[in-house]
Amino acid sequence: MNRRGMNDVRVLIASAAAIYLCLAIAMGIIPGRVLSATPPGPGVVPLTEAQARGRDVYVGEGCSYCHTQQVRPLEQDRVWGRPSTRGDYAYATPQLLGSERTGPDLTSIGARQPSAVWHLIHLYQPRALVHASIMPAYPWLFAAKDRAEPGDVVVAVPAGDAPPGKVVVATQSAQDLVAYLQALKQAPLPAAKP
Amino acid sequence: MQDVRAYVGPAGGRGVADDARILSAYVISATIWLLFATAVGLLLSFKYSYPDLLTSPLLSFGRLRAIHTSGTFYGWASIALVGCAMYVAARSGGVTIRNGRVAWLALWAFNLAALAGTVALDLGMSNGSQEYREWIWPATLLLLLAVVLSGWVVASTVAARIGHDIYIANWYTIGAFVFTTILGIVAIVPAYQRGLGQVAVQAFYMHNAVGMWFTFLALGVTYYALPKLLNRPIYSYALGVLGFWTNLVFYPVIGAHHYEFSPLPWWFQTLAIVFSVGMLVPVWAGSGNFALTLRGRWSSVRRSYALPFLVVGIAYYFVGSTQGTIEAFRSLQAIWHLTNFTVGHSHATMYGFITFIAWGAIYALLPRATEKEPQPLWVGIHFWLALIGVTVYVAALSVAGTQQGLTWANGDPFIASVEAASPYWLARAVSGTMMFLAHVVFAYNVYAMTLAPYGAPAAPPARAAA
Repeated sequence: MNRRGMNDVRVLIASAAAIYLCLAIAMGIIPGRVLSATPPGPGVVPLTEAQARGRDVYVGEGCSYCHTQQVRPLEQDRVWGRPSTRGDYAYATPQLLGSERTGPDLTSIGARQPSAVWHLIHLYQPRALVHASIMPAYPWLFAAKDRAEPGDVVVAVPAGDAPPGKVVVATQSAQDLVAYLQALKQAPLPAAKP
Repeated sequence: MQDVRAYVGPAGGRGVADDARILSAYVISATIWLLFATAVGLLLSFKYSYPDLLTSPLLSFGRLRAIHTSGTFYGWASIALVGCAMYVAARSGGVTIRNGRVAWLALWAFNLAALAGTVALDLGMSNGSQEYREWIWPATLLLLLAVVLSGWVVASTVAARIGHDIYIANWYTIGAFVFTTILGIVAIVPAYQRGLGQVAVQAFYMHNAVGMWFTFLALGVTYYALPKLLNRPIYSYALGVLGFWTNLVFYPVIGAHHYEFSPLPWWFQTLAIVFSVGMLVPVWAGSGNFALTLRGRWSSVRRSYALPFLVVGIAYYFVGSTQGTIEAFRSLQAIWHLTNFTVGHSHATMYGFITFIAWGAIYALLPRATEKEPQPLWVGIHFWLALIGVTVYVAALSVAGTQQGLTWANGDPFIASVEAASPYWLARAVSGTMMFLAHVVFAYNVYAMTLAPYGAPAAPPARAAA
């Protein structure tokens, strides 16, 4: 049978593929390439080893489904810091900009809440510190022990939230995650030239 | 399914019974994923109101969130619509499904991919919380393999058709496989995905996975099932072709509207907004074409148990996609971006549109394939539970998102946005329960259409006795 033009399956596939390939290169690959080469902004530094491990915990636990890391150039976002710039993300792979802000933006949580003690208690049981919080508790990042051993990081969980008769000790993952959260700060932009 | 009536297909064909087995297996498999992934979604919805409910790493919100979305996308909707697309390719061409073994292989690949991706996510192994591509790369590669294999089945079946023209339904489904193969490759290569570069690729990927895969598959099966059920030709073939090309050209550009006000180049975001307006052309061409095909035939809709699902799907396609265009404007994104409004929108489209079309297609095709009808009462219960459920769901989250955005704009303390949204989250959990119950009823109907013995509970139609 003589099937020509778009009635030939091969022609249909080839023309659809050719058009979409061009668009995929133009809208996916080229923007990806160009923006991947963005140099770090002034004062933007790579994470330490512990902070990078903490970032992996952040990714694995899906924190960015509720916490954004992008400050928009909008009035209501001023509370989170200065508007994010391209150079802020030079070392941020996988990217964690997020799409929902069920919880607060964390772009500068390390500056807003620098205390490791606060973060550890908050990760163990958010409602021990913020009554109306709906953040999940992460008790599996901690160990409940009968007594602390030398070198243990003991978490001062309020009595009602701690397991009775036990001490709560932060695991390495919890300490790494807190190190990462503490590292989340915006590098100040250089002042504009007069 | 040994009792599927043996039927000798066209010369050289492998028999319609084999096609029925393939369609049944795809639908059963998809239904299992639907039950699993929406049970997960239901648990998640209750965690908003009861955050200390079932605290455990394997049941934690952050891990289950991606399991719910990727499970419904790739386990449920993909497998269901791919099965329908294979069956449509065969029936519209007057032949049987070609390369049946490849079709079975593709089904295994889909399931293994979904299983591997799900288990890894639950163990805290993720590809970086990037929506709809959270699966680790081996699972993603398997998914890509499944897309290529099933695309091969559909294309070779269409190539073997009896008639001259490629029917418009198959344009859409073949397009879906071609686009998604390219999209999958673009998304998996890491070379150009560092930092903000990955944000640009993510913008491209996440919206194209929806609009170049699910939309094309759903429109394709609708172009077959709707005229078939109404027993009248599609209103305009040309509108279908217009929708195909405009969707292909406009859709790939609009992804960045999910990153408005981000550090992505401002013109790049503006381009996405402009093309989002362009999307009105394929959306109105498609939904208008279906509506005009339906005109004057509302009595048929009342008498059919499959048509109401398609009608709801078409209506949500129109409403949800038009909403997407309006939502893209900066003035509205300033309030709605990053809020629950987006989650409401994604359920209007992925559930109201895609899932209802999948159900309509399954109820249209499967009883004809297996010659086993579901009981109309249970199909009706499925329909109303799902329709009321999703409509309340979308309404509740639209209000919740608006409240969140307004408290932020008002400069209230952040926790005020959590408190403002809470009552609507409870409403979402209740409507989600209705949706899940609808899926249980649907699973029973799938059983009646496939594995159930002839006779009770479903009787074969009289014509099958011949």
